[in-house]
Amino acid sequence: MSDLFVALTPPNLLACFIGTVLGTVVGVLPGLGPAAAMALVLPLTIKLGPTAGLIMLAGIYYGAMYGGSTTSILVNVPGEAASVVTTIDGYRLARRGRAGAALAVAAIASFVAGTFSVVALQLAAPLVARAALAFGPAEYFAFALLGVVLLANLTGGSRAKSLAMVVLGIMLSTVGMDPLGGTVRFTFDLAGAQAGLSFVAVTAGLFGVAEVLATMADPASTTPVARVRFRELYPNREELRRSVPPMLRGTVLGFLVGLIPGPAATIASFVSYGVEKKISRHRDELGTGAIEGVAGPEAANNAAAGGGMIPLLSLGLPFTPSTAVLLSGMLLMNVTPGPFLLRDHPQVFWGVIGSFYVGNVMLLVLNLPLVGVFARVATVPPRFLMPGVLVLCVVAAYADNNNLFDVWVVVGAGIIGWAMRALGFNPAPLVLGLVLGPVLERAFLQALTIARGEVSGLWASGPAAVMLAAAAVAFVAPAVLALARRSAADPV
Amino acid sequence: MRHRLAFAVALVLAAAAPASAFPDKPLELTVLFGAGSAADLLARKLAELAGRDLGQPVTVVNRTGAGGALGYTYVKGQPADGHALVWNSNSISTAYHAGNMKLDHTAFAGVAALTSEPVSLAVKADAPWKDARELLAHARANPGHVRLGNSGRGSFTHLVAVALENRAGVKLTHVPFGRELAVTTVLGDKIEASVQLPAEIMAQVTGRQVRVLAVSGDTRLVSLPDAPTLREAGVDLTMTLWRGVAVPKGTPETAIARLERAFTQAANGPEFRDFAARMGAVVDVRGAKDFDAFMARDDREIAALMEQIGLRKQ
Repeated sequence: MSDLFVALTPPNLLACFIGTVLGTVVGVLPGLGPAAAMALVLPLTIKLGPTAGLIMLAGIYYGAMYGGSTTSILVNVPGEAASVVTTIDGYRLARRGRAGAALAVAAIASFVAGTFSVVALQLAAPLVARAALAFGPAEYFAFALLGVVLLANLTGGSRAKSLAMVVLGIMLSTVGMDPLGGTVRFTFDLAGAQAGLSFVAVTAGLFGVAEVLATMADPASTTPVARVRFRELYPNREELRRSVPPMLRGTVLGFLVGLIPGPAATIASFVSYGVEKKISRHRDELGTGAIEGVAGPEAANNAAAGGGMIPLLSLGLPFTPSTAVLLSGMLLMNVTPGPFLLRDHPQVFWGVIGSFYVGNVMLLVLNLPLVGVFARVATVPPRFLMPGVLVLCVVAAYADNNNLFDVWVVVGAGIIGWAMRALGFNPAPLVLGLVLGPVLERAFLQALTIARGEVSGLWASGPAAVMLAAAAVAFVAPAVLALARRSAADPV
Repeated sequence: MRHRLAFAVALVLAAAAPASAFPDKPLELTVLFGAGSAADLLARKLAELAGRDLGQPVTVVNRTGAGGALGYTYVKGQPADGHALVWNSNSISTAYHAGNMKLDHTAFAGVAALTSEPVSLAVKADAPWKDARELLAHARANPGHVRLGNSGRGSFTHLVAVALENRAGVKLTHVPFGRELAVTTVLGDKIEASVQLPAEIMAQVTGRQVRVLAVSGDTRLVSLPDAPTLREAGVDLTMTLWRGVAVPKGTPETAIARLERAFTQAANGPEFRDFAARMGAVVDVRGAKDFDAFMARDDREIAALMEQIGLRKQ
């Protein structure tokens, strides 16, 4: 335990600083993901030795979650997949002149969640890791289905329209390689489409490019935000007070979701937003620029990043591309994660844990002053800002997989996103479908194969059965309630 | 003194001149799998070492998708001057036969095969089967009962499992997973065994959560000394995933020879050998001459296995 202070030695502090700064940059820049950045610096970190090297790699990993909200809030372009939901309220806050408040709350939420998850990681890792193993394909399928049903109507409005968007998202997710491998589908013989529709390109298009097009069509719609005085730059007491409950809820939810395989940080941010939409005292304001819509999801994605460290450190199982790079780094440094990590390498284990505390403080100190700099972006007149946003979106789409086809996807998604807005469809449920589609398909087929073709395998385990039942109830309940209300109002 | 130095410098420059004809600009090595994967890390290490020898940086660019088809198609579209390389593997055959691309191995010229990785057959540490013989005997007595997680339908691990069925005369239930999740599901007691590349299971072996019953190479792995080969376990099967460097067909022989020298030297050096061993890979060098014939032979084997599981489209 005293090894915790290993993180405070100058070389380790420096490694932590470099890692978190790089992480922030990676988070801010859309298209450049943490896994790619970590793979790039891996050779350097190996030379630093296991403790400093892993501290630096981990810094990029959780640092990216801090920066992800920046472009979401300022220009409606998600910096990371996990910051897609942050655009919904974050960007509206920015247009109202509260960019600074939203950015600061995002940083504080990330700090609270990051710190909480490392405490939980330190105290409960082996215990929680065992529980994570109980989650097999059948449970994962039930969980994803429940997510689709509960979160479809994420942004309110027409239920039918939202469901249609989720289904469209799921359909779009089937383009390209079958998630279980083998065959390529729905590519219409376009070689570039074989990698599927890039998540980065689709979201940058639906949110960012669509915003640019809307501004072009109606320049009066996006008025420049007046420059705010320093005192108004940071969140006021009311905004801070309102941020606390969603932050705490998002932290717990995010941590738990982070334990399971798949795009956990992204799912966690959606779950947090869905929960706020249902139970927040200000739920009616969500979607119009409520600080809860930033505080909850940004806490959730950071907590999920912390949660994802548990299966890695306790069992040696990486559930995301970023933790997979961390695992490779550990193996190359002759540090094997798993049950014996603490016994064999206490310095490394406690050094990395300690660096999480230090790194989160560094990130907060780093990000809060940046708020002032970034918030000015919102005051740039649209005729200068929007061309920049367009460039950012196109570069992000290409950088994601160095595939020119993705540039056409970002442009196409932008036009479709603009049309969707005009027709009153919200793109957020579509993105949810895009995230959960492959999860549903993969888990469904695996669960059936594991049950040797018996459909009952889907609900054979307790947790899976409960989640499936909950999904069925949640799907039918609104219709039944509406029917009951109608017959009560109009007795025969 | 000064004269002598100037003369020496001139000599060195003169000696370097013919070599500098190729490469005359930075090279690009396309990796078909994601940043941080075992394939990617091996490629990055080799690119760093070979770049030093070539005197030009070798940039690694990840172009993932369609089991490698996207990257192969991209590299084939580049000028055949030796500057566009692909980090090649058996995926050239699996992607072609699955119908994901129009190119097959004949569209490329091999520079050198450099590494190979066996597939590991593993069960949970407390599983009742002590060795591969027992597991296979159980599978023989209960056809379809043993569920074997692989890293994707039509992936190399899946093909090894199918070949194992053929040679051992057993019937298994194949469950396709992505990277790592097959091991997770074994640990969660949802399936009986997994076939994975060693790098994907090394942490669980060291953590004594799983036992490797056999590896599919012709010798044991240094990093898994207790795991016998399939042949030792009584199954006449050797299959390894090879990786190497290839260029579009039509690349000048001199450029190929220069690349071959740089990459084989890099792979044979102690620094890379050590690096590869930790990733569960073995340095297994085959020069440009043998590589093309080797790819052709491997392609026929893979075609037959894919035919058997109904994935062969062309």
